[in-house]
Amino acid sequence: MPVVSHVTCPVCGSFCDDIEVIVKNNVITDVRNACAVGAAKFLDYANHRNAKPLVRKNGELVEASWDEAVRKSAEILIDATYPLLYGWSSTSCEAIRVGLELAEEVGGVIDNTSTICHGPSILSIQDVGIASCTLGQLRHRADLIFYWGCNPWSAHPRHVERYTTFSNGRFQKSTWRAHVSRLGGILSKKRLRRAINLVLGRDVFATPEISRELPYNMFQKKRKMVVVDVRKTHSAEAADYFLQVEPNKDYELLQAFRMLIADEELDVDHVAGVPVETLNEIADVMIGCKLGVIFFGLGLTMTEGKIRNIDAAISLVRDLNQRTKFLIMPMRGHFNVAGANVVFTWQTGYPFAVDFSQGYPQYNPGETSVIDILCREEADAGLVIASDPVAHFPKKAAQNLVKNPLIVIDPQTTPTSLMADVVFPSTFVGIETEGTAYRMDHVPLPLKKIVEPPSNCLSDVEILQRILHEVRRIRSKRK
Amino acid sequence: MITLYPKRLFKAPLDAQCITPDIFAEKPVSKIAELQIWEGNQKRTLDQLFKIEYNAKNQSEEMTIRILGDVRKARRIGAKMSTGKIIIDGDTGMHLGEEMQGGTIVVAGSAGSWTGCMMKKGIIQIKGDAGDYIGAAYRGSTRGMNGGEIVIQGNAGNEVGCFMRNGLIRIDGNVGQFVGIHMRNGTIIVQGNSEGRTGAQMSGGKIVVCGHTPSILPTFTVDSIKSKVKVNGEIVKGPFYKFVGDLAEDGNGKLFVSQIQNPHLKFYEKYLE
Ligand code: SF4
Repeated sequence: MPVVSHVTCPVCGSFCDDIEVIVKNNVITDVRNACAVGAAKFLDYANHRNAKPLVRKNGELVEASWDEAVRKSAEILIDATYPLLYGWSSTSCEAIRVGLELAEEVGGVIDNTSTICHGPSILSIQDVGIASCTLGQLRHRADLIFYWGCNPWSAHPRHVERYTTFSNGRFQKSTWRAHVSRLGGILSKKRLRRAINLVLGRDVFATPEISRELPYNMFQKKRKMVVVDVRKTHSAEAADYFLQVEPNKDYELLQAFRMLIADEELDVDHVAGVPVETLNEIADVMIGCKLGVIFFGLGLTMTEGKIRNIDAAISLVRDLNQRTKFLIMPMRGHFNVAGANVVFTWQTGYPFAVDFSQGYPQYNPGETSVIDILCREEADAGLVIASDPVAHFPKKAAQNLVKNPLIVIDPQTTPTSLMADVVFPSTFVGIETEGTAYRMDHVPLPLKKIVEPPSNCLSDVEILQRILHEVRRIRSKRK
Repeated sequence: MITLYPKRLFKAPLDAQCITPDIFAEKPVSKIAELQIWEGNQKRTLDQLFKIEYNAKNQSEEMTIRILGDVRKARRIGAKMSTGKIIIDGDTGMHLGEEMQGGTIVVAGSAGSWTGCMMKKGIIQIKGDAGDYIGAAYRGSTRGMNGGEIVIQGNAGNEVGCFMRNGLIRIDGNVGQFVGIHMRNGTIIVQGNSEGRTGAQMSGGKIVVCGHTPSILPTFTVDSIKSKVKVNGEIVKGPFYKFVGDLAEDGNGKLFVSQIQNPHLKFYEKYLE
């Protein structure tokens, strides 16, 4: 049976590159090494496919020829005074490059999904800079790992195993054995508590008191993992220590850590629901580590404070670097959202929310970012590629998006494609088409072609190029 | 005086940085009509979008531009202006008076975000509300408002006076979070309530909050209780808790918070005994 090895997984920002896929008669029959999320993508990608180009006529989406669909989309984009081109994070860098050319040609606003995930991180990186590295460095050297406002166990399932606590690095040993025995301990403790509650006639499901004392192993010399979150997630259970912060109070906590690391005293005895003694102890652990890293997710970027949370987190890392070595990295969601930022930046100078309406790139998130534009009802046409904003955007933004003529390029039927005026069936990049994508630490890796695409689907690159050519052709004719 | 009437309601954003007394003053009316203005990705002339009325009788010494109607999509009105006056009888959009160097802007309605950002001199007065980043810096820059005065009679959004370096911002209504974040110098006075995180990461300057604030950042330390503060020569009656911070930035900013409106801050008094 043919096995395709060293396949990259086009799902999450961890972008694992050790997947093995077994193919029989152009059908993927099995996947090795991938997590459940990755495997599901490889095995089930063929469901709910868009099979033919569709164009809306008399209120209904009907099948159309490629030429007709391309012409219709080119006309929509040319006639618009302020078109939006959105998506990009789940396609290849090659497609993003063509997309930027198209945005410039039609004088539109182009934005990628960072606008609703790590946009604030980018803004504060521009304000205060960042100390970061590749994941390989962390795998081999990091001995203190913070996951702040993110839940890798569910969202980046192999992150902990491949790059941090449970990975076996050259200088840092994996701690998964300790984790397994601790899990056993936790389980028996849970059972015991339940039994006691049953005997005493108490509420069996009552949430237990959270112990605020640090476990003794936090001070042992081994790899340690700390999770900071508003709720006890699976990642928190796997961590050596879990810091439960009051919702929307991360900024205070980060700033308090900065004070403690600078050996200053606090005037309060609790910060964000955590006693200051605990913070002091964790600050000691931070200073005592050899190489620490903070991974942060949307729990930090999209809660109250937004860019300022990241501002404080990066400043904390900067302060820590005066005492030890510390790094920080955003936990990017889609497999190529980092790539979208990189390609946007090398082409226009800005990582997202780029406005080409005056012919040159302008950038000011809040003004040129897609959600704000839609909420102010300024756009009059849209192109969405490899994304599903109708399902993810705030209601008002989604409503205003579908009010205008809308072009969707997507392999699958999504709520957005159902509301569109033109739908292009594309191929799955990383399964049916080759390409390049950037891992969350900005390492570019190739996306492989494993199976042949359905006959009527084209790659994102080809579709965009056809639209671009048509736009140029109609423009020159009209002149 | 030149009066502009918008000919229709705009949908796409207008880049109206040509509407400043400086540019109007040096041109005859026929040339003013030809000034270029972007509507989305379309290049238009001023008279395609506005009816222009020139009134020579009222022409006093300084150039006055009056806009009658809703121009909430128009951005950068009065950008870089150095003299004269702009009166807007309606709402206006973002970046009003950006990098302003003198003169006056009066808005009867509300203004958008980045009003008076990076301004150096002059006066902006908004009778309604204003958006976020009043008197702030451009993204990635650390040079916010550096002089002049912004008065907002309604409410303002988040991050008022971000990276402010000098000047005065006066807000009669309520404000969002992060008033005076990264502020270096200058003064902000808020008559209403603040949503908190006031003075975050400030390294200098003065912020006065006369209303309620949910909490003070842990990186501020209480200094004393003052019966009054002086803002731009005027005395504001207290009593106020005086905090100093932001200590995480080794800052020396002064934050005054009303004692009467904030009984939940009483626990700080134990550090003053
Ligand atoms: S962790 Fe992410 S990239 Fe790796 S296999 Fe799972 S879904 Fe794919």
